[in-house]
Amino acid sequence: MPGFVSGYIRVVDAINYRVGRVVMYGIFVMAGILLWSSISKTFFLPSLWTLEAAQFAMVAYYILGGPYSIQLDANVRMDLFYGSWSARKKAWVDVFTIFFLIFFLGVLLYGAYDSTSYAIKYGERSPSAWRPYMWPIKVVMCVGLVLMLLQAISELFKDIARIRGEDI
Amino acid sequence: MSYDLIAIFMFASMMLMLMTGQRVFGAIGAVAAAAALTLWGTGGSDIPFSSAMKLMNWYPLLTLPMFIFMGYVLSESKIADDLYKMFHVWMGPIHGGLAIGTIGLMVLVSAMNGLSVAGMAIGATIALPELLRRGYDKRMVTGVVQAGSSLGILVPPSVVLVLYAMIARQPVGQLWLAGVVPGLIMATMFIIYIAVRCRLQPELGPVLPKEERQVSLGEKLRLLRAGVLPIVIFASMMVPFVKGWTSLVESSAIGAMAAFVAAVVKGRMNRVVFEASVRQTLAISCMFMWIILAALGFGAVFDGLGAVKAIESLFTEQLGLNPWMILILMQLSFLLMGTFLDDTAMLVIVAPLYVPLVAALGFDLVWYGVLYTITTQIAYMTPPFGYNLFLMRAMAPPEITLRDIYGSILPFVCVMLVALALIMTFPQIALWLPEYVYNK
Repeated sequence: MPGFVSGYIRVVDAINYRVGRVVMYGIFVMAGILLWSSISKTFFLPSLWTLEAAQFAMVAYYILGGPYSIQLDANVRMDLFYGSWSARKKAWVDVFTIFFLIFFLGVLLYGAYDSTSYAIKYGERSPSAWRPYMWPIKVVMCVGLVLMLLQAISELFKDIARIRGEDI
Repeated sequence: MSYDLIAIFMFASMMLMLMTGQRVFGAIGAVAAAAALTLWGTGGSDIPFSSAMKLMNWYPLLTLPMFIFMGYVLSESKIADDLYKMFHVWMGPIHGGLAIGTIGLMVLVSAMNGLSVAGMAIGATIALPELLRRGYDKRMVTGVVQAGSSLGILVPPSVVLVLYAMIARQPVGQLWLAGVVPGLIMATMFIIYIAVRCRLQPELGPVLPKEERQVSLGEKLRLLRAGVLPIVIFASMMVPFVKGWTSLVESSAIGAMAAFVAAVVKGRMNRVVFEASVRQTLAISCMFMWIILAALGFGAVFDGLGAVKAIESLFTEQLGLNPWMILILMQLSFLLMGTFLDDTAMLVIVAPLYVPLVAALGFDLVWYGVLYTITTQIAYMTPPFGYNLFLMRAMAPPEITLRDIYGSILPFVCVMLVALALIMTFPQIALWLPEYVYNK
């Protein structure tokens, strides 16, 4: 593999690994928000912000954590045939089918960009009592989708390397 | 091209994409995005992202990471070991007692856990070797673990019912309560089957040897404490919810943290367990949520096509079937598909198609959720391509062959079919508890 390709794989995987390792503790952020919500509801006045804050935390959790979940190979595949193929055959098929994944992520990102630029331009707010601005979470989603795309391309490179019988 | 043809084409290309073994969310999402773009041009390009926003606004989805975390904390920290010991000592002295105890173990594990895989892992790694060592018939034991693990997604909290609720737009709380009685009935039927079978053929489930039964009463009572823990965790979660103090989502966070605290107090929470449960939670939550995201996009395109109407008229008007026949046909198609799809994939693919049809036929969607759950469980257990069968093969000790696993499953599948038929004939089995709780 040319140097920049292996460099790309190294850098992207390292970034997504670090992001994922931080984001995985988001489970405690979500639990914390929800616990505060039940405490405040039972003993004081219910907080207005908890519901949406928990939703934002969840979206950040799964979108930013997505690339790391690909690294962990957690995304299920239908392995009726796939499961019995050799590593090389798997790589050959993935080299083609990964473009479907990239295409899906691309369309997602396109929509995300549209929606985010609208949110920034018009200062879009959520129609709730708390009325948070929508652009911060949308920017996070855009970043997550870009990272996801980078990771998918890194997987493509890794499959090509596998076909050529090289170590990554 | 007419809309029904487009719908069929979308469906077929998705199945084809899935067969290639690409990640499920990529396969579904790509078909959805491509269909949206060809149908509605640039206007369709927003569909995938708007399903991401829809997913965000679906508040009950937050229970998903909470329950996954809870399940991993409980299985990684080996809290289930104590539970097994309790059943071992208490149920050992009767014929087939350990097998019955394993079903009991599964019920308790299910009450703290939303996935059937966790129950299977606990059953296959803790109970299975013990039972084999005590001379239990290996087919009997394998069947027990598989059947028991199917309770995991029926007894609340159930992750599959959360997903179903999202797609069918039904309240999660009602669905969960609807799963309680059928789950317990099924557990009871398994126990009756084991007890009767072991009475007729005592060699299948021998009584524990005498020296192992010499456990003092004090020791026995001490072991009973292990059983208190799941009940406490379950109660800490369900009581505030049923009383209306907290919402379901908040309760799930309480449950997750209660499990975490329990593991810490028992001294089982070390670095390795902590790391594994937090990492696995991220991995599995991401897996689910990306699939849901893709499936919502797919469903949105399907809705836009009005494909459901076309299919409904095909069945009712052109084929002249009555609602019950259609319902049974749908269940049969689940059994078929369960042989090569896993539960999430099956739900997100089939539900957008079936759920509106079920509603249009005038059936109760909460009741159908329970039927759906049981049917999929049967589907995973039926050869040749049951999903659970392979999982079992991966986890079970080597002396159990795939042939044993296939053979073991038959009687339990029959029991489950009887349970399914009961619930189909008497919807009240599933529906009275939610009605009782919500109409107070």
